Amino acid sequence: MTFLIKGKKSQQRVRFIKRAIAGQGSHDPSPASESLHYDQQQAQRPDFITENSKDKPAIVDDAFGASSRSVMSAKTASMIPDLFTTLPPIRDLLQTGSSRVQDETIQECLPFLKGADLNVQCNEHGVPQLDRPRHINFLHKSLRKLPAPYVAADASRPWMFYWALAGLAAMGEDVSQYRERLISTVQPIQNSTGGFGGGNGQLSHLAPTYAILLSLVIVGGEEALEVIDRKAMWKWLGALKQPDGGFQMCVGGEEDVRGAYIAAVILTLLDLPIELSRESPAWSREGGTLLTNLPEWISKCQTFEGGVSSRPDAEAHGAYAFCVLACLSILGDPHIIIPKYLDVPCLISWLSSRQYAPEGGFSGRTNKLVDGCYSHWVGGCWPLIEACLDGPSLGSPAGIQVAPLTAVGHLYSREGLIRYILCCCQDQTKRGGLRDKPSHNSDSYHTCYVLAGLSSAQHRWHFNTSATKTATGGMLNSAYQWTSEPIVEDLQIFDGADRVGTWHPVFVIPEGAAERAKEYFASKGGF
Amino acid sequence: MAPKGSKAPKARPKPPDPPKEYPTIADELLAAYQESRPYQTLAASKGIQNLTANEKACYAHAVFLETGAWRSWPAATQNEFWKTIQSEKIPIPLPKPQDLGRDTRGIEVGKYTPAEFKLYLRREREIEGLLGKTMGYLRAIMAAKEHSPRVLELTEHIISMNAAHYTVWLYRSQTLLALNSSIPAELEWVNNVALDNQKNYQIWHHRQILVEHLVQDVGSDEGKLRELGKSEVAFMKEMFDEDAKNYHVWSYRQWLVRKLDLWQKGEIEDCERLLREDVRNNSAWAHRFFVVFSNPRYCTEGSKATEFDGGIPDEILDREIEFSKAACFEAPQNQSPWNYLRGVLKKGGRKLVSLECFAGEFVKIPEKEGEGEEDVKSSHALDFLADAWAEKGEREKADRALRLLGDKYDRIRKNYWDWRRALLKSDGGGLGGIEGQFVVGAKLFGH
Ligand SMILES: [Zn+2]
Repeated sequence: MTFLIKGKKSQQRVRFIKRAIAGQGSHDPSPASESLHYDQQQAQRPDFITENSKDKPAIVDDAFGASSRSVMSAKTASMIPDLFTTLPPIRDLLQTGSSRVQDETIQECLPFLKGADLNVQCNEHGVPQLDRPRHINFLHKSLRKLPAPYVAADASRPWMFYWALAGLAAMGEDVSQYRERLISTVQPIQNSTGGFGGGNGQLSHLAPTYAILLSLVIVGGEEALEVIDRKAMWKWLGALKQPDGGFQMCVGGEEDVRGAYIAAVILTLLDLPIELSRESPAWSREGGTLLTNLPEWISKCQTFEGGVSSRPDAEAHGAYAFCVLACLSILGDPHIIIPKYLDVPCLISWLSSRQYAPEGGFSGRTNKLVDGCYSHWVGGCWPLIEACLDGPSLGSPAGIQVAPLTAVGHLYSREGLIRYILCCCQDQTKRGGLRDKPSHNSDSYHTCYVLAGLSSAQHRWHFNTSATKTATGGMLNSAYQWTSEPIVEDLQIFDGADRVGTWHPVFVIPEGAAERAKEYFASKGGF
Repeated sequence: MAPKGSKAPKARPKPPDPPKEYPTIADELLAAYQESRPYQTLAASKGIQNLTANEKACYAHAVFLETGAWRSWPAATQNEFWKTIQSEKIPIPLPKPQDLGRDTRGIEVGKYTPAEFKLYLRREREIEGLLGKTMGYLRAIMAAKEHSPRVLELTEHIISMNAAHYTVWLYRSQTLLALNSSIPAELEWVNNVALDNQKNYQIWHHRQILVEHLVQDVGSDEGKLRELGKSEVAFMKEMFDEDAKNYHVWSYRQWLVRKLDLWQKGEIEDCERLLREDVRNNSAWAHRFFVVFSNPRYCTEGSKATEFDGGIPDEILDREIEFSKAACFEAPQNQSPWNYLRGVLKKGGRKLVSLECFAGEFVKIPEKEGEGEEDVKSSHALDFLADAWAEKGEREKADRALRLLGDKYDRIRKNYWDWRRALLKSDGGGLGGIEGQFVVGAKLFGH
């Protein structure tokens, strides 16, 4: 159909139509369907966390799309580099399952990348604004309607807190209003033997423990931090420590690199001793600590592709790359410890291959599709890798001076990632929230990690020498030597108001919160 | 279905006769939604400018209803508005149906029939209550450390309602072992749960615990171990039929190969079968690499995947190189075999230059820049050549390849290619595959 826009009158009508369409997808999912989402959430992915899976494409009402498209595109097309609007220059003739879904994904993303949707206002670079109010509302709402405690048995309630609180704080919301509720929710699921379970009567598990710990640190305050039984936590970590160096996720559970990362986070944030308790299966007369052989075990998870797998022998996967780099960056200074345990050029080659065009976003594995959450899992690797290449910003000479990054600035296309996030990952209906890709519904998991990725693309992180080390002089201080600055450039494709807060590159919570918690616990000088 | 403009009746357009029954609940909801907004549908199909004056008015009213814009109007205007709504019998638009998500088994709820959906809703409400009760019961049993047959019944019941309950799975495996229950029977049952819960990962850890125990029991009974391996592999094939890249299944498989010594029992053939279906299945490539380069019969124990291993026989290296070359010919822009090829060369301590000719098959660039024909069939081949040339000390050529990648064939990674160019300048190195890894790498990273 044609619907020419001419003159003032029609323009008003256009605006009126926009509202009409925006209102359509607005009603809330029923509580029943929402709790289902959470069920799904448990099931997906490498489950660092588990995420909401697919859900059908939001049906795009095309009634007015076709005509408006040409109008919008004419205005902005010239400002969108063709890299993001055209098919890749080299394409194989052979079709397989993988290439078919890849082609579908490109077709699904292109209209969004071209700014072709009339319902969405774009700036002169063809990039829509971050719909902050709707995303904020989406996350607040997610906390109002937590999944039922038993149906969502797999630790998703603690995660819901973490995803929402981290996302809200990054968007400048005051989250202290949730302190009381968080405390009363997590207190009953802390086990006297240390750690937190996913819900009532569940065994302690590292994944919900991580989510709860970070949530408490985000809301902050003595009352929240005092919830944690640190001594019991320390004993429990001893029970999870394996003779080969890694950590199980729960006693008798699986051993993978999530366990390594989370254990390191717990040790440093709570300022726990690294000694092993005698009850630990890893305890031996020869000594050894909670950290013994941990980086060596991690090192066995790098694959021939250069990426990192969940455990030795498996396939390289984006989520695990972040766990490993962040874990190492807790155990030592990135420029020293990362090259010691990983083949860095090979890792960089693999990480860099995760970014696709025209989509601009990251995928999790070779020949898999882009997905918004890898904006963090892969995107979050870059600050750590950049610190590894550039070495500390202050004082001592850099670790790797030969080809410092300063020459090229960043190793990936920040523009590509920002375009994917703002064009393809935002739910532009009243529902709000961020998502995997346009055909998927938003959920709090993706909202959190897409925002973290956006922040990481908007800021530069510096790893500093020990100048900023905490006064405790204790162990594991590397993670507290990071400072950030906004990246300011002449050609900025996103609006100034869309810069989100900074997330700590290792802990993935708003900058400053981890530092305060560490200081609080370190000042205790013991349990 | 909409009436023609010229003959448009004055009355509201008639919605299509609704069929009595819809195949799915999603269809039913969508139909109800569309029925509730006939003027929007009419405008969309005819074009607003082709509507009659009355239709246009009705259309505007319907849109105001849908957006809720009328709420902000003064009372008198609102009254007028509602009068028209009533006199014209304009239906009140329903909210657009939302995606119903998936059930615990991963099936799209929208694809249920309307009758099934009703049952499903009722069941959902019941489950929450039931799960709470059953879990409370199990908690008491766990506190008493009771390991009895009723634990198996109870946990089976809970898992049937929600398979993502790690505490329940762990308690179940402890109980099974304490009771000395039949593990093959349990595996059989778990198969069905796994097929119904494609994305569940607790199941695979449970399986690992069971098989671990079974192997201890069976001891060195070769026959029984072989049987077990066969049935496990057969089951995984069923899982791969659903999703040939399922990460949990593949991780379990790698574990199983070590556990049951399956190195030379059809693993490579199985990978080839999957790669014949989809040569871009990177999980199958990764598994093949593991099976070939971790085999304790010739591999050096503890040799990392990214390291040279002097123990790999030449014929195996040659075979793997030939295999990946063939795959590169099949789809040159598929990164999987190129990554594989680099991995093989590194394992074998061979230079990338040894495959310069092969990679050159996919890259035609004129001797002098800008003179002659240029034909690049694979950016991965160009990447490979850049390293091969750097290895030979041909920096200029390598630099040109990297520039082509950044400016033309793989622009999204331009910063990366520029960084590689900087590496080249600093030490003449690339990301080559020789022992000790990289000419530059070794110097850069001080080992
Ligand atoms: Zn995702």
